[in-house]
Amino acid sequence: MKYISEILPFLIPLIIAELVLFVFTIRHILTHENYKCGNRMLWIIVAIVGMGFIGPILYFTLGREDA
Amino acid sequence: MDILTLSDVSKAFGSKKIIDNLSFSVGEHNIFGFIGQNGAGKTTTMKMILGLLKIDSGEITVNGESVKFGNAKTNREIGYLPDVPEFYGFMTPKEYLTFCGKIAGIEKKYCDKRIEELIKLVGLNGVNKRISGFSRGMKQRLGIAQALLGNPKLLICDEPTSALDPLGRKEILDILSDVKKHTAILLSTHILSDVERICDKIAFLYNGKLALSGTIDEVKVFIMEMG
Amino acid sequence: MKQISAFIQKELLECMRTGKCIFMLILFVIFGIMNPAFAKLTPWLIDIMSDSFSNMGLSVEKVTVDALTSWMQFCKNYPFTIIILLLMFCNTLSAEYQTGTLINVITKGMNRWKIVLSKSIVIFAFWTAGYLLIFGITYGYNAYFWDNNIVSCLAFFAVCYYLAGIWLISLMIFMSTVFNSNSSVILSVGGIFLGIYLIGMLPKIDKYLPWYLLDSSKLLINDGSISDYRFAVVITILSVIINIVAAVFCFSRKSTL
Repeated sequence: MKYISEILPFLIPLIIAELVLFVFTIRHILTHENYKCGNRMLWIIVAIVGMGFIGPILYFTLGREDA
Repeated sequence: MDILTLSDVSKAFGSKKIIDNLSFSVGEHNIFGFIGQNGAGKTTTMKMILGLLKIDSGEITVNGESVKFGNAKTNREIGYLPDVPEFYGFMTPKEYLTFCGKIAGIEKKYCDKRIEELIKLVGLNGVNKRISGFSRGMKQRLGIAQALLGNPKLLICDEPTSALDPLGRKEILDILSDVKKHTAILLSTHILSDVERICDKIAFLYNGKLALSGTIDEVKVFIMEMG
Repeated sequence: MKQISAFIQKELLECMRTGKCIFMLILFVIFGIMNPAFAKLTPWLIDIMSDSFSNMGLSVEKVTVDALTSWMQFCKNYPFTIIILLLMFCNTLSAEYQTGTLINVITKGMNRWKIVLSKSIVIFAFWTAGYLLIFGITYGYNAYFWDNNIVSCLAFFAVCYYLAGIWLISLMIFMSTVFNSNSSVILSVGGIFLGIYLIGMLPKIDKYLPWYLLDSSKLLINDGSISDYRFAVVITILSVIINIVAAVFCFSRKSTL
């Protein structure tokens, strides 16, 4: 398991960044009433299922309302 | 002196003539009521005055200067309140007015003072939430404030009262008649009671032409004679 | 000048308050980390799979990874980066057409060309910052794990990829002034890109096209020389200028605001 210590330098920042992005996306979904399409439930599911960055990307490009 | 003059203005969209040789003028300290059905060409006329639409023929002058499409310098003399005013929802009213002041090139110190005055005038003092949470009536008030920011010589209001409840309408009309002391107002509407309440001169637009125009009393006499 | 700075401030405030800014910041950090991460994980993944491969009778060679693997991953992730940036900003004008917020700004005496210019500056700035972030993070990890000196012409390669992004953004700005909805903006940018890609299939023409800049990844393994790209660089820069001028021209004549 010598790999683990080798991948830690990017594993830790990557996990932190993805967590921040996830929390930020969920917060954005919860603090907004209207979306370009879909509803709140849908976007929360998308954000959770598309863990990492796919969910947030989908939400911010397709769901986030222009205001 | 006339603030706004339209002489023989025509505009067609494709083969459909919207405005046909329209001429009228608005003098200082006047509220000019511009009346017509939906689709009569009121908004089109206003957009042409603002240089947002190209005129096919004729001339529009604002304060003696001719209006050019695309880059209308005359807009500095005009305050415009659109029929459905929309502002950047992520700003607060004060931020939006400050932004407008910078765009209009108003000196900062004076602008801050003016914003305080206007916010009080339109009854938005103490409102610090973002514009995205505003009701229709609040947006209308902010619309009047931004239109008056640069002390315009001419205020153009497109259906300012159409979507408001009676109380909101009265308040907006009161603000407008208060403003009249400083600026000429061109007001479009289809609500005749509003016109009677605040306008000095009126004109009926029908099929792109002026069907009838004059002071309120002249028009009343004319209608009575017609029976 | 005052109008431009006021409008740029408004654009930045919008990006901050609508969450666009933070979203892109975190996303670009993730993209930056992913490039070396992928390279680093490749031998590990192959190790795991080699057992099952050898069971099937396949022999797996030991792979070596270095900075080059990571830079190649950078090239592969590049299209996603630029597409996300374009998607985030394709509504920069169309959202304002739809709500009519620009009418207020223009009737306040804002020159139209300044609107286009301010918006372009903001999007270019986001691209510059995002690109530097991704490039910087990848470069940093590569230097830590391996050695960046084994690849050649890295600086020129970086400039080529950056320019290609600038070109696509300028094209999007031009299309935003032509079309009113963001779907037509995205479709037209995609269409033009596809058209240029197809023209690029023809021999001898490809090196005059902006997209040829992405071939500069070959330079990293010392294939070809910098001078091969001189036409593409010059044409791309000219095309960016033409796009912006055309955008200003179209926007000044637009009556459906």
